[in-house]
Order: sequence, then C-alpha cells, then structure tokens
Amino acid sequence: MSQFSQVVLSGLATGSIYALVAIGFTLVWQAAQTVNFAQGEFVMLPAFFVLAGMSLFGLSFGTALLFGLAVSVVVLGLLFKKLVAEPILPHGGITLIIATMALGILLKESVKEFYSAEAQPFPSIFPNDPIDVFGAVLSMQDILNLAFSLAVVVALTLFLNRTRTGRCMQATAQNPAVAEILGVNVKRMILYTFLINAALAALASFLITPVYLAKFSNGETLGLIAFIAAIVGGFNQIRGALAGGLLIGVLDNLTAAYVTAEYRAALPLVLLIVIILVRPQGLLGTKEGRAV
Amino acid sequence: MSMPVLSVRNIEKSFGGIRAVNGVSFDVHKGEILGLIGPNGSGKSTLFNCILGQLPPDGGDVSVNGRNVSGMRASDLNRLGVGRTFQQLSVFPKMSVLDNIILAGQEHHGSMLSRLFGPGDAGLTAEAEKLIAFFRLSHLRDTLAGSLSYGQQKLVDAAMAFMAGPSLVLLDEPAGGVNLTMLAGLKERLTAYNAEHGTTFVVIEHNMEFVMSLCTRIIVLSEGSIIAEGTPDEIRANQAVIDAYLGG
Repeated sequence: MSQFSQVVLSGLATGSIYALVAIGFTLVWQAAQTVNFAQGEFVMLPAFFVLAGMSLFGLSFGTALLFGLAVSVVVLGLLFKKLVAEPILPHGGITLIIATMALGILLKESVKEFYSAEAQPFPSIFPNDPIDVFGAVLSMQDILNLAFSLAVVVALTLFLNRTRTGRCMQATAQNPAVAEILGVNVKRMILYTFLINAALAALASFLITPVYLAKFSNGETLGLIAFIAAIVGGFNQIRGALAGGLLIGVLDNLTAAYVTAEYRAALPLVLLIVIILVRPQGLLGTKEGRAV
Repeated sequence: MSMPVLSVRNIEKSFGGIRAVNGVSFDVHKGEILGLIGPNGSGKSTLFNCILGQLPPDGGDVSVNGRNVSGMRASDLNRLGVGRTFQQLSVFPKMSVLDNIILAGQEHHGSMLSRLFGPGDAGLTAEAEKLIAFFRLSHLRDTLAGSLSYGQQKLVDAAMAFMAGPSLVLLDEPAGGVNLTMLAGLKERLTAYNAEHGTTFVVIEHNMEFVMSLCTRIIVLSEGSIIAEGTPDEIRANQAVIDAYLGG
C-alpha cells in the first residue's frame, strides 16, 4: 500500500508538471491557432538561465530562480512572439509549426554547443525528505511539487475567469475579430498568452529539472509527453490539459512499477493512439468545427 | 433640424473595375430606425463596412454626432457610441451570456489601473442583468452562449450591441436565420428599446416584412446608388423599387 501511494503520488507530481507545459500548448493554440513544437525546449532552457545566473553573475539560488523566470518570460515569451510568431503567423499556422520545430533544434543545439553537453545538477526548490502519512512513506518534494503546480493552475484559471484581462484573453481566443471591435486590445492579449506560456514553462523547468538534471536534450521527452497530455485531455481546454498531464504521470509510474519499466516510454504514445481512435476531441475537450 | 446622429456623404468604393458604392449620401436623425435594403450586390454590406471603418472608402465622409469618423477603426467607433450586430453570429461561445454582455461594455469603463486591479465584472453585472432581462434572457444568464439556439444567440448579439450605451446601432441582417417566433420577439424588443432610449438604428435586412414593420424610413440601393427613399408605404408603392427589387 505504501509503495502504491508513493507511486501514485510521484506520478501525480510529475503529471502536474507535464500539465503546466500542456496548458501552455492549449493557451498558445487558443490564442494563435498554432502549436509550439519548441515547447519542450522552452522547459529545458529556463533551468540553464538559472544555472547561468548562478555561475556567471554569482546569484543565490533563490535570486537566480527569479532571474531565470524573468529571462524566460522575456526570451521565450516576448522575443518568441515578436521575432518568430508575429512575422510568421500571417503565412499560416503550419508555417509557424515548422518554424517552431527549427527553433527547438536551434535552442537544443545552442545549449549543447555554448553551455554543456553534460547533464548538470540542479538544486531542488523543495526538500526531498520522506514523510510518513498514515503509514505510507511519501516524498515531501512530490507533495510540494504537486501542490505548487495545482496552485499555479488554480491561480491561472481564476485569472482567466474572474478578471477583466482574463475575460479579454478568452474573448480573443474565441472570436478575435469581434473582440477587437468591442475594444479589446487583441494583440496585447495574444502577447499576454505567450508571456504566460513562457512563465508556465519556466516553472515546470524549475520543478522537473532537479529530477531529470539540466540537459540540453530534456525538451525532447518533455515536449512530446506534454503535447500528448494536451491531446489526451482535450487540446482546447485547460482542465483537459491538466487531466491529461496527471493521467499520463500516474499511468507512466504505475506501468513502470507494476508492469514493465522497459516500455514505459511507449505508454503515452499508446494512450495517444487510443484517444485519437476513440475520442479525438480528448477526454474533456469539445469538438470544434472549422471551415477549410 | 437637429444635427444628424449619422451623416454619410458621397461614399464611394470600388473593387477593381466594379463600383460597389457610387456616391451615396444620407442622414439619420436621433430616434430614427432606418432600413437599408436592396438586391444582392447592391452595395449595402460594402456601405455598412465603410461606415463602420472595416473598409476604407475611396471617397466621401462619415460623421457620427457631428464628428468626422472617416477611416476610424471599428473599435474606436465602438468607444464613440456606435454599436453593431453582425450578419454572422458574434457571441463568444465558451462564455456565459452574462460574461458576453459584460465583455461588450467593459472596455469602455475604468482606467488602466482598474482594469488590472478592479473587480472582474468591471462593476457591470447589474447593468448587464438589466439588459439580459430586457431581452428576456434571464433564464439563460449563466448558460454558455455557444449552447443557445441560433435565435437566442441573435438576441445575445443584440443585447451586446446595447451594452456600451450607444447612440447609434447598426444591425446587419438581424432577422437572418431566426425563426418567426423569435423574430417577432426581436422586433418587439428593438422597437421597445428605441422607444425607451431614443437610440438610432440603421438596419440592413432582406426580410421585407420585418424591415417594413420595424423601420420608420427606408433607403433602397441598387448597383451602388440610392434609387428610392421614403416611408415603408412609399417604398412599397415605388415603381422603381418594385422593378429593381420587390418584384410584381
């Protein structure tokens, strides 16, 4: 029972981090009708911003985290939107998707070339002590990772549903032409979406890198799993991305613990195929019509 | 005579070699409900889009309450008190009816600071609820707009056009696709709003029964030019209009 609880909790903790990244996919999809295939690298890179802040500028870990978050929001949010998405999007969503693939390779290879090809240790934000909960030994880090990620998702949901800016962002995602006529600054709302996506990716990076270590290739797996989580949950719903992330995290851990660790990487792909065959709109997603 | 709410002067618009709007001029005064009718391709929608700043006219001027608004963006026109409904459905489908209507008014309220830190409803819930009640949608207040019937969504669209307290509302085929029961309700509500608030309407419509019973004055366009103007009865009896549009 103790092992089962630990496996499920650890799965939920990892899954909640996948969910942060998956939510970024859905936000960008809703705002710009495109998929950012560099999203995995957007999770890989902030950890290196933190390490660079510590090694180059002598910052403490806490200050370096804030530095990493700020740099991520500027580079992966503002600059990505202004230099990549904005000029390319008018040429079509597919063009931008291909551009983000190229960007992902560029970011990955740049880190490998200019920082290090070796995995770098990354300090943990939360203590990794075991704690006893009703006889089950659980990881404090897992509990706090899960709690922090869920708090971020709740805060984001409240922001989108309860604030004027959030309502404008939703309107922009649902009907940008009409939103603009009603006085909504559509360009600014799209920018906010990119900034939030970058912040989510950075937070996910800070939580997951202590486990994976900072490595240039981290984005490959993370990006793919988060993309699948978004599809499994429902690409057009934040709660869908959350559910997809948690589900993949838990199933992945259960499979590794009780079935086989050898094929655990295949599990998200199997889940993806099943969902596409059985419920293509995802577990919590809604069908969307589109004129072509 | 008082200053017109909307003044259109010599609007011209061509697409390639085709002149869609050919020097159209008219005034609309406070409280009037003006119908703009004509066969397909007569230039109604192009004229509408020129008035609303969605198409730049090749020539001519548009004034709202005496202010020249030619070339002004649609969002700025909205801020100046020009509301509009759309030919296609324009609600935000994944937001509730209440949120749709609040959104239609919130960008006209408050400073930058209050937008960031003020209440999420911009203090507009009571006002939005009054409009929802006026359009008899109270039972659908918290329903997602996308799950409403077409006719109900048209009513939400109309309510949104009134949320910013406009002095002028342009309605683009409000009757299109709406069933007869809902249409009677829509007409009755528009007439009541006009009587209560003195708001000026300009309506593009193909449904002759609807437009003849709603409007106080009608302008008929054909091939980009005005061919007739008058009361509904005068338009019905006008031989040029019968020949070009209404038929025998």
